[in-house]
Amino acid sequence: MNQKLPFIIFALVMAAIPFIPGVPPFWIVLLNNIGLAALVAMGLVLLTGVGGLTSFGQAAFCGFGAYTTAVLTTAYGFSPWLTLPLSLLVSGIAAVLLGIVTVRLSGHYLPLGTIAWGIGLFYLFSKLEFLGRNDGISGIPPLSIGNFRMLDPGTIYFAIWIAVLTSALLTMNLLDSRTGRAIRALRRGHIAGEAFGVQTPRAKLLVFIYAAVLAGLSGWLYAHFQRAANPTPFGAQAGIEYLFIAVVGGAGYVWGAVLGAGIVVILKEILQSYLPYIFGGQSQLETIVFGILLVVLLQLAPTGVWPWLMARLPLKPARKLTDTSLPPATRVRAPASPATLLQIEKARKQFGGVIAVNDVSFDVQAREIVALIGPNGAGKSTTFNLITGVLTTTGGTISVLGHKVDNAPPQEVVKLGVARTFQHVKLVPDMTVLENVAIGAHLRGSSGAISSMFRLDRADEAKLLAEAARQIERVGLGDQIGQLAGSLSLGQQRIVEIARALCVDPVLLLLDEPAAGLNDRETHDLMNTIHAVRDRFDIAILLIEHNMELVMGICERILVLNFGKTIAQGTPEQVRSDPVVIEAYLGEPVEEAEL
Amino acid sequence: MTAMLAVNGIEVCYGAITALHGVELHVEKGEIVTLIGANGAGKTTTLRTISGLLKPRAGSVQFSGANITGVKPHVITARGISHVPEGRGIFANLTVHDNLELGAYLRKDKVQQSEYDRVFTLFPILKDRIKQNAGTLSGGEQQMLAISRALMSKPQLLLLDEPSLGLAPQYVQKIFAVIKEINAEGTTILLVEQNAHMALVTAHRGYVMETGRIVLHDKTKALLASDRIKKAYLGG
Repeated sequence: MNQKLPFIIFALVMAAIPFIPGVPPFWIVLLNNIGLAALVAMGLVLLTGVGGLTSFGQAAFCGFGAYTTAVLTTAYGFSPWLTLPLSLLVSGIAAVLLGIVTVRLSGHYLPLGTIAWGIGLFYLFSKLEFLGRNDGISGIPPLSIGNFRMLDPGTIYFAIWIAVLTSALLTMNLLDSRTGRAIRALRRGHIAGEAFGVQTPRAKLLVFIYAAVLAGLSGWLYAHFQRAANPTPFGAQAGIEYLFIAVVGGAGYVWGAVLGAGIVVILKEILQSYLPYIFGGQSQLETIVFGILLVVLLQLAPTGVWPWLMARLPLKPARKLTDTSLPPATRVRAPASPATLLQIEKARKQFGGVIAVNDVSFDVQAREIVALIGPNGAGKSTTFNLITGVLTTTGGTISVLGHKVDNAPPQEVVKLGVARTFQHVKLVPDMTVLENVAIGAHLRGSSGAISSMFRLDRADEAKLLAEAARQIERVGLGDQIGQLAGSLSLGQQRIVEIARALCVDPVLLLLDEPAAGLNDRETHDLMNTIHAVRDRFDIAILLIEHNMELVMGICERILVLNFGKTIAQGTPEQVRSDPVVIEAYLGEPVEEAEL
Repeated sequence: MTAMLAVNGIEVCYGAITALHGVELHVEKGEIVTLIGANGAGKTTTLRTISGLLKPRAGSVQFSGANITGVKPHVITARGISHVPEGRGIFANLTVHDNLELGAYLRKDKVQQSEYDRVFTLFPILKDRIKQNAGTLSGGEQQMLAISRALMSKPQLLLLDEPSLGLAPQYVQKIFAVIKEINAEGTTILLVEQNAHMALVTAHRGYVMETGRIVLHDKTKALLASDRIKKAYLGG
């Protein structure tokens, strides 16, 4: 509501510009170029800014879009409107093929890979006979509706900007959805997302295809705007420039793409027109000045101009109130479910010469609260990672509800109802608490990218957000629901992780040092929460913790690890008086330590 | 003003949210001062403002008589304030040994073998891991390394943010003993801790924070005896 008004105003302004008397036709051409560049940059916002996958090769996808329509309209007489879906399809298929190879790459290899095929495809375009080699294809028919032919820049202007505005709307819808949250979590590493069922390779491929289709759309429009296509605008040089546009505008922001395109296109134009007057000659001075100006701009606004601008506007996003009354989709708990939730037999994990977990065996029964304690480096978190599929075992078996999971991926383990928190908080700091927690409910929704883009996911989405809000209330962070997760204290962030894990509707909850960073009163609140969760929802809990008050206070059974081996197990009374445990872990009797 | 560190009415905002509403505190040379309070009260924000990582919107920070408000973090470090942030802050690709050496990066004197010995007596596991990359340590071991590195820096003023976080009980006892020891050797300490009891037993004076304000400050003996503190932070 609050978001829609600026959008409508912007759309109306853009629609009115060509009708303003005295607007030079040249300005319209510039606006067309801005729109075309903005479409490509918008794909990069999603791919690079949000998803964290840097691509220098987007111009090649414009090429797929442009050449598809160029060939089909000139050689085969297709209608331009018929080639629109085909252009998008060809760009999309090219993205699938390149993406399957490329998105597996990580670190420096990913951008290098995109440069490689960016250059390769440029030469392919310029060498193929049926694409007209270096000369390209000319005589492409204009877009037309009935007898109205979009021959001049002033008419295709509308087609371009309708495409830009529609794409912006669809992209924003996508980001504000179940799929969007999975995409936004990509940049922070894959472990947290996968622990809640996000198929990260699939999410990466999705943004890759999405960005390519937007570039293909830009290419299709370009071909009918210029009425010709040649390889030059689809080379690596252009690919670098598109990435530049996205970064200058603000790589994480949809409107940053439009703003960045405006800044770069206009700046280049001004420099090209006026610098020769000032300095004379045919020198390449404008390129140098252009470079300097962009560096200065990025110094002033390192995250891009759009967020810099937004921080200076008095507009504050209205907090969305979440309806918590919607019924959640709960896990069907089979009445005859086995009493043993988790069974670990001789689990072993070896890192090179170090045996981090050495033939550990234990089990967790339904409704139990079990603690895993031991000195730092004893292998406790590694055991959690083995159970949840973050690491694969070197030996032994781990089963959840009778299913063997010792080499299952995290997404399969969470499907069985095992949810976890992390010792080192893994939240997305620039997402709100609500959005972070909603990632926990990922598997309880089903809406995909397409339905999110067209807002067909609202009923599903409302249930997920309602569940997230309810869990946030449950752990006592209702006041922080709309804040960015990164602005919370570390102790609060750990509690947010518990809420996110509860959103899974788990049968077994694994908590890694939940009380670290909490003071005594907060620890007591946490103990009450853990009890309540177990009693009301029949959730069993396995926790790692150094706070003995919590461990002794709420756990029915304790397992003590040292150097990867079980050195003791039993009730709190048995463990706290065990000389081996006192020697290895407690240091001195707990009563004295509590003093 | 003779205080080594004086924080005068600082106000800090994160976007639209005001995290600190005019925080006042001071630390005298040779003291251990602790800052306790609930999660989200603004303790970490206070430390981050002192060490220059955040700029206050109002108020000032004075160190040894000089105004250090808005000064860059590395300059503040060079003047003698060392900050150990909560959570991990170690160099994962360097060895344990190199991490410790880097702690002493700004020191002009030579690191004594006795200082290594102290670290290894405190955390024997670090001696076993001395040649390993710090990134291969467990979470708790990384915390040990971060604290040890700070001990090597021998600053005039040490800002410690939750040194006991994630440590097994036997180390929690030891870490507070070492904090007292390095204080006796001449380092002034401002300590943020969730383990309020241990913090109050260790420190000379304490400040209590609630929702971005200092609500109470006194000698730690008095705070330990206060009913209000017992109720709110000591689980009594």
